[in-house]
Amino acid sequence: MADGLGQLPADDGQVPDLPEAAERRFSEGAFTSGLTVPDFAACLQMGLEPVGYVQGFCVMQWQWYGMGSPFGTFGSPFSGGTRGYTESWQCPHGYVSAEHRGWGQNYEQSWIEDAWHQGFDGAYSRMLEEASAAGAHGVVGVTDTSQPLGDLGVLEFRVQGTAVKVAGAAPPADGRPWTTYLAGQRLAKSIEAGLAPVSIAATVASVRVWAYCVTEYLTEGSSGSWGYQSAAAEIDQMSKAHMAVRRIAREQIRGRLDHDSLHGASMITSERELGQGDAELQCILRGNRVRRFKAFDPLPAPRPTVRLL
Amino acid sequence: MSPAPGDEGAGPVDIGTEMRAAADFLSRPPSATPADRGARTSDLSMDEEIALHSIGWEPLQLVCGACLFSVPMGVWNWGQGEIAYASNAYARAFAGASEQLHAECTKVGGRGVVGVHVEAEVYRHHVDVVLLGTAVRPVGSTGLSADPVFVSDLSGRDFALLMSSGWAPLGLAVGASFVYAPRRSAGTAMKQKSQNIELTNFTEAMYSAREAAMERMQEAALGMDATGVVEVKVTEGPMDFARHAVSFTAYGTAVHLVADQHRTLSPRMILPMDDPVQAFDVSSLRG
Repeated sequence: MADGLGQLPADDGQVPDLPEAAERRFSEGAFTSGLTVPDFAACLQMGLEPVGYVQGFCVMQWQWYGMGSPFGTFGSPFSGGTRGYTESWQCPHGYVSAEHRGWGQNYEQSWIEDAWHQGFDGAYSRMLEEASAAGAHGVVGVTDTSQPLGDLGVLEFRVQGTAVKVAGAAPPADGRPWTTYLAGQRLAKSIEAGLAPVSIAATVASVRVWAYCVTEYLTEGSSGSWGYQSAAAEIDQMSKAHMAVRRIAREQIRGRLDHDSLHGASMITSERELGQGDAELQCILRGNRVRRFKAFDPLPAPRPTVRLL
Repeated sequence: MSPAPGDEGAGPVDIGTEMRAAADFLSRPPSATPADRGARTSDLSMDEEIALHSIGWEPLQLVCGACLFSVPMGVWNWGQGEIAYASNAYARAFAGASEQLHAECTKVGGRGVVGVHVEAEVYRHHVDVVLLGTAVRPVGSTGLSADPVFVSDLSGRDFALLMSSGWAPLGLAVGASFVYAPRRSAGTAMKQKSQNIELTNFTEAMYSAREAAMERMQEAALGMDATGVVEVKVTEGPMDFARHAVSFTAYGTAVHLVADQHRTLSPRMILPMDDPVQAFDVSSLRG
């Protein structure tokens, strides 16, 4: 796999840092599971035996970057310290004043994306270590959250799911269990449709908008007293930032799929307005990475029914 | 028991065997020819995808469009009639986002976009519209199509049902209008102060906004040669930042009949025999 998801820290399949209590828990015999009873019943029907509720955590120091700017208002804020997407705009007015926003730039905040992946992938691989130690083939019903711990500037990443064994199946490739957000009937439907779960896939894209004068006027509704009238117009810089953050997320996730497909994707985009037209956009995209394991065999057209209650 | 008429065809599925086959497949290295593995992205649920497949369509890629359009300063101040700048900004933001969605869908070889999530937010100085959906096409179809790309906010299930009954989506029909609720005179306001009475200025503004928005949506549908609009969603009410202005927005999927005539699906009546789960409150035992 090209990315951190699904990779175990040790090449020999040994688990280097599984907590002692976790090892003891897995060897005690009784299983634990985060499945609902209907999902549990459906899993048994599919030959999946729950072996343990596995979890991974990673707590990251999390500060907001890019508040204000170290750059002068008439110089490009781009310092070359980022990779990926950048796009610039130049003020059409010429020199107006020292406060005038002569340059505008959208740029990808790769350091934020890297930090997010460190947290998410770290929690994920720790969950996978537990599943691997429990001898699981896969992890079903995965849930993940990332939330601030109070106002400490700390972000906690959590990835959890139910490790399962498949009765009579060969051990997973490289001893690395497959994972999926699905469980129960939803997983059964995926299997029936010929799509095997490979792993969960998740990524983040972060774009900072450093507004130039026109974006500032259009988003703040101000009309310049130097002849520039704020008119009704598309806010080009913001529109492009919104498109870019979603495009980057989709490109990144495709890079993580290694030619497999992504199903049941969820794309959540948030915007933090920083004032004067400045903003920070974040797009989290995740879903189930699946691989076709049998020929396409469409089900017959479903029969419409009316339910009498 | 012999199967009921219409049940034949789908044999019993041994899901345990299928699951074991999937697990065995995953224990082997992936195919050396990745081209046949698809690399699709979709935000459809598995149910929606199965429904799409059942009518011979498949998802391709996640596509989106976004457009922010400005509203100049001062347009929300007290006035009379429609706030044309705001209505225009809403229409232009939708058109811009829709254009990008069309372009992305065409680029990935899709014939249309289904399950479009519409995010349309009106702020004091700008209107933001983001459209996100999954590009789809008939299974295995490649190359260009003479038909224009369609955009629909119908779910995969509703799209399958619509197509099965002989109809097809054309695009999103949108209409919006923002109208000032005129001030009451000081005398009228004083007289009405202690009464529960209709505020006709607000009612009239609401009617005015509604008529304009619905008409625009209808015109948009007619512009696409549609027969009608399904799943219309409306929002209405005063603006948070301008309580004296009322908004009315409406959008839905414009559809037209592609079969010779509407196909009646004749749904079968079913009567579930399982009892609904009775909610049990354990605290009731304590009296």
